[in-house]
Amino acid sequence: MPNKKKVLGAAAASLMAVTMLTTSIVADQPYDGYNYDWWGDPVPSQTGYVVDRVVSGLDLGEGTRFNTDDQLKEISEQVKEDVPKTQTVGAFLNPQDIFIDQTTKLLYIVDSDNDRILVTDVTFSEPVTIMDYFYNPETKAYETLNGPRGIFVRHDSDAENDNEETLIYIADYENGRVLEVYKDGTVCQQFTKPSSEFYEDDVTFQPNKVVADVAGNVYVNIKSITTGAVMFAPDGTFSSYYGANRVEQTAQAIANKFWKTILDREAAQSFIQNVPMEFSNFDIDNEGFIYTVTESKSATTDVFKKLNPAGENVFIKLGYSDLIFGDMATYYYRNTTYGSQINDVDVDENGIIRLLDYKNGRIFEYTDECDLLFIYGGSGNQKGLFTSASAVEAYDNTVYVLDMRKGSITTFKRTEFGDIVHEAMTLYSDGKYEEAREPWMEVLARDSNYWFAYIGLGNAELSQGNYQQAMDYFYMNSRGGYNRAFKQFRMQFVRDNFNWFMIVIVVIIAAIIALRIVLKKIKKKKAGGKQ
Amino acid sequence: MRFDLDMPAWKWPFYVARHPFEGFEDLRWKKAYNMKVALVIVFCFFIITVCQQQMTGFLYNNNYVKIFNIVPLFTSTIILFFTWVVGNWSLCTLFDGEGKMKEICVVSAYALVPYLITQIVVILASNVLLRNESAFILFMQYFGIVWSVVLMISAIKTVHQYNIPKTLLAMLFTLAAMVIILFLMVLLMSLFQQVYVFVYSIYTELMYRFSI
Repeated sequence: MPNKKKVLGAAAASLMAVTMLTTSIVADQPYDGYNYDWWGDPVPSQTGYVVDRVVSGLDLGEGTRFNTDDQLKEISEQVKEDVPKTQTVGAFLNPQDIFIDQTTKLLYIVDSDNDRILVTDVTFSEPVTIMDYFYNPETKAYETLNGPRGIFVRHDSDAENDNEETLIYIADYENGRVLEVYKDGTVCQQFTKPSSEFYEDDVTFQPNKVVADVAGNVYVNIKSITTGAVMFAPDGTFSSYYGANRVEQTAQAIANKFWKTILDREAAQSFIQNVPMEFSNFDIDNEGFIYTVTESKSATTDVFKKLNPAGENVFIKLGYSDLIFGDMATYYYRNTTYGSQINDVDVDENGIIRLLDYKNGRIFEYTDECDLLFIYGGSGNQKGLFTSASAVEAYDNTVYVLDMRKGSITTFKRTEFGDIVHEAMTLYSDGKYEEAREPWMEVLARDSNYWFAYIGLGNAELSQGNYQQAMDYFYMNSRGGYNRAFKQFRMQFVRDNFNWFMIVIVVIIAAIIALRIVLKKIKKKKAGGKQ
Repeated sequence: MRFDLDMPAWKWPFYVARHPFEGFEDLRWKKAYNMKVALVIVFCFFIITVCQQQMTGFLYNNNYVKIFNIVPLFTSTIILFFTWVVGNWSLCTLFDGEGKMKEICVVSAYALVPYLITQIVVILASNVLLRNESAFILFMQYFGIVWSVVLMISAIKTVHQYNIPKTLLAMLFTLAAMVIILFLMVLLMSLFQQVYVFVYSIYTELMYRFSI
């Protein structure tokens, strides 16, 4: 007996070693790629992105202040201590936001608790520029930041010189203002709490995030305001609120609505007002559409929306606002809800949307039509996982994710599989279904679970007029596609078999008439017999 | 008399479906309750529900057909039907209902016929219709359900010799009785399961003892 046990034990141990070996070979990524199938069940999938580097402030070395030597002298006089030109960058403290300027390839990091902005390039190879003292020509003094939270950079093509062409907007949270500065740090404009009658006095003005459109309108996201972003005209006056969420239709909200219709106005006033969730972050695309995300454990209304310049959600008409963004299911386990909490959005030049799930540290990549492409990242301490992801940006094929607790930026690079999918997707969204066939086939060869490839191939077959094959591809993948293919198939079928249809119909009618005559005769006979 | 009521048993369900008001009265008068036909209808109810889940066209099928599990389908048709019969009988015997268990079973099964026929049409149509032609399918579905409900009211009314308000009340209470019956059944099943686990663990314990 004991001998047998020993042998068994050895066998088990060796088996375990083998499996561990194989898993360690396979699991070069700290996360498993997955996607969702037709029923919303997660299925394993190839990863589209792998971790490339993790860069913290300590890796950036020496940084240079962007102020001139004369300015530095004045600053030293103003703050009564020596402000050197160069300084070690050091660790990021609670960094809240990153921004990539697509034209200049510069990466802006909002190092919040160090009250500064750091600028480097997208490869982290250029020396870092430190921005912390901004010259204000009006007061002839230098302005500092206090807990900045958001940044946005815009290029003004009408500007007089190169310096004024770049406009940097900083959401200066603790100081309660948005600072608009030029490239050399001269303050151009400040957006402070509006003194409009529409802006109530007891509401604070603490900018969380900021974006600006091509015309120079500035949109400020403030956490304490549920009626949307505060929108400023280019001259700095308050113009309106922009793009509020809809009220979540909870049972309580419906009950309140019911009672309000019954009771008189005074009694109804005592009810809790149902207010929409404030959105937590936004981004603007090349065409001027603003995308907002709402970070909430429970809210399902307007988690992700795309606003046109009038502030209307264009996803409502398209039906995308009913989709679930982030992970499909939420789980409730031991007083904790496990579900996606999306706190940042990035829309790149090709219209690819990336949503950052702060709760699970995952990035969800969608096409501009809200079709899920990839899920990557995860929660944890390993390289490529996040403890508290706060911002996502993308440049070219690289995705940058900022972790505020780790104080580091993780870059993901696209895998070969990701490249093929994106190549196919680009062709697909241009309507070149036939050209996209080859890459979609390649995608399926690598990952037969990749559902969008079936839709791509279905469209390729449909464009070639192979309705039957198109239906096979669309089956269990796309109802709209199947509907289109089936419509054509049915029409063709009826056309091809029209003669048969007519013959059958004529025969049936003839049979019915004949049967009636026969039945009548039989009845007559029976009746005759009885009489 | 307009109609010849001496028809074979299988024709009766179609006759009552075409005559929702006096059909059941005729059935009662003729005492044409046929249990075999009723059971065939209930079995068809089950089969058609399975078909509805599995064979509805892709464009109209919202069921989770990734896995096929017959138990919930069986429960939601056959068990539900007999719970209805038992619930109705146990309630209406207490409230001066004249119907016997067999009669209730037969008339309830006959009342299902329009629903089943329209379901077959819907299943067939869902395979040849497009998404934007859904109005026809929706109409057929509602039509079948409404017709069956009307027949069911008429059936219960006739078999117990109630008036309309009392019939509706009885049906409402039957639903409550069904909930109670199902609850007790679940309770009983879990208790039996525990007894089984208890006996089985004693058995395994004894087996270990004897094997050493």
